[in-house]
Amino acid sequence: MRLFLATLVLLAGTIPAGAQWLDRPTPGIPRTPDGKPNLTAPAPRGPDGKPDFTGVWNAPGPASRPDPANLQPWVNDLARQRQQELHKTRPYYQCRPSGPESERYGGWKRVLQTPAAIAILNDDLTYRLVHMDGRQLEANPAPSWMGYSVGRWEGDTLVVESAGFNDKTWVSRYGVSHTEALRITERYRRSDFGHLQVEVTYTDPAAYVKPWGFKLDMALAADTEMLEAVCENSSEHWAGSLSDAANRAVSLPPDVLARYVGVYSGRYGGNTRTIDVSLSGGQLVAKIVGATAVEGGLGATGLDEDAARVLVPQSQTLFDGVGLGYQFVVDDKGVATALVEIHVSGSYAYPRQR
Amino acid sequence: MRLSFAALMLIVGTIPAGAQWLDRPTPGIPRTPGGTPNLTAPAPRGPDGKPDLTGVWNGPVPEPRLDPANAQAWVSDLVGQRQRDYHKSRPSYRCLPSGPEADRFAGWKRVLQTPSAIAILNDDLTYRMIFMDGRELEATPAPSWMGYSVGRWDGDTLVVDSAGFNDKTWLSRYGQPHTEGLRVRERYRRPDFGHLQVEVTYTDPAAYPKPWGFTANMALAADTDMLEAVCERSSEHWAGSLSDAANRAVSVPPDVLARYVGVYTGTYLGIRRSIEVLLSGGQLIAKVVGAAGVDGGETRPLVPQSQTLFEGVGLGYQFIVDDKGVATDVVEIHVSGPYTYSRQRRPR
Repeated sequence: MRLFLATLVLLAGTIPAGAQWLDRPTPGIPRTPDGKPNLTAPAPRGPDGKPDFTGVWNAPGPASRPDPANLQPWVNDLARQRQQELHKTRPYYQCRPSGPESERYGGWKRVLQTPAAIAILNDDLTYRLVHMDGRQLEANPAPSWMGYSVGRWEGDTLVVESAGFNDKTWVSRYGVSHTEALRITERYRRSDFGHLQVEVTYTDPAAYVKPWGFKLDMALAADTEMLEAVCENSSEHWAGSLSDAANRAVSLPPDVLARYVGVYSGRYGGNTRTIDVSLSGGQLVAKIVGATAVEGGLGATGLDEDAARVLVPQSQTLFDGVGLGYQFVVDDKGVATALVEIHVSGSYAYPRQR
Repeated sequence: MRLSFAALMLIVGTIPAGAQWLDRPTPGIPRTPGGTPNLTAPAPRGPDGKPDLTGVWNGPVPEPRLDPANAQAWVSDLVGQRQRDYHKSRPSYRCLPSGPEADRFAGWKRVLQTPSAIAILNDDLTYRMIFMDGRELEATPAPSWMGYSVGRWDGDTLVVDSAGFNDKTWLSRYGQPHTEGLRVRERYRRPDFGHLQVEVTYTDPAAYPKPWGFTANMALAADTDMLEAVCERSSEHWAGSLSDAANRAVSVPPDVLARYVGVYTGTYLGIRRSIEVLLSGGQLIAKVVGAAGVDGGETRPLVPQSQTLFEGVGLGYQFIVDDKGVATDVVEIHVSGPYTYSRQRRPR
């Protein structure tokens, strides 16, 4: 039995055990009579009367996925190639700036707003600057990781136009590329004290047939602080690929596979996670229940929260699922009683549900 | 003759050929009648009446000298070890944040000031926050790369106290370590529109018996903009060490070495640079004239690898000789290419 579980896909930023100001009440924010932050109070405004976005914000990763039909063929080809390599060249995994990647809109950020410029500070210690001093984007910007951004007010909406990105960054963690001609429009609105919405549109005709994008809701992180989460271990030494796993694959009879079909549920990262294992075209597929599956090659890619993983058998009970290991625990009849998901961060057991 | 020049000491951030807003006049700054920025005009003030440090700043590298008498023994040992390893574990060479390193007070930075917080944005895309909302440093902060900083005004001087650094960062490019107990105090003063001074004091008794520090002077970078300079190549694959070079060393007679002694001058990165080559204790030493020598930093012992080729702490030094074996030039070999310095005639 060969126990090569190749690549390790889960990079978790190191969160220190204790830290500074995590429980400190944020000064100067509206509160309800019981002292809790009043997140539905009106949005604050700066001396210029414009909404002030200053604060620490947090958001889930954007749920939208690019539509493969809207990607030029080379973009789809490159995304498949990157999937094959278990996405090890994703800038974030290489400890490089994420630039315009849509996942970068999720997670922690701090906004510092002045009339002439707005800084958006990320927890990975990168930042962006949005110039508000009336300057225009220039025609031939030198390509950069974070791009060049200018903003203007349309009523209470901040409209940010960006250009001048290098082509090393991705626009999604599914390996979707862009060219140096990428332009981004962002529309920010702080609907009330505790909520900030952003609508992001990517325009890059050499890569996408039509402009596309997503919307994201950020919530004010009141009475706490943002912590550093600096990437220190680059993916440079990740080994393996999807085809390696296929080359090591063993053949299992369908009746053995059928005994693993079922729903497994357990704890992962502090949350309950349910994995649905099904048999499809003679192959086992593991799917996180609740995650959206998308038709086509791109939906099945992926990293941690992705929809569906094809399980390639490495032994009778051990499978490779896009860089994660899946070990079925069986009873004396060979029927699975639990599924162990093997991450770089450790093993997570999910008992089978009746 | 063995020509393995191992480690490569020079990391130059990639500066793109053209870039955005490099020639754009900075709006809202005082100008002389001729239209040039008036850098000696009074410093601007914010709505709260305090000096406003907002702007793009640039400054030369400070030279924090390590006083060997003010370093605990383990600090001196580690500095020596890091020098022998060509400083390859320096955070900025590994594409990691520089944290409180003195050299990070030089180069390009953008300051963005609001009454409740000040952000200092570096060109390597790292940044620091200085909280001005009255919070105090906590007693047992979780170690971090950039530390935790709180600021207050002492008249027109911004006083910043920082703690909570991890011990992975250095205090200078010469490899001076610190512990997690490090505290940093900075005193910023903007005496006029175009100048910003910061006085930095490091306090870390487990590493240095007495507090020490330096002053950095920054100038406002008017009518231009700061560009990204992102580290993309880590030093992980640097090879070699001083002892490797010593193992490869050959023996060159003193009279040959004596023919290389002299002052050599040339251009390096657009700046005129002089290198003085001396004979000391039977060994050639190269010294960049004018640069402060800190424990091997700008003073390099030259270890002979052949009669004319020497290794100097990760740089190559090739002497070009005439038919009498007397040096006419020295070629300094960097990763970015060779740089030739011609020997100056001795003053008569």
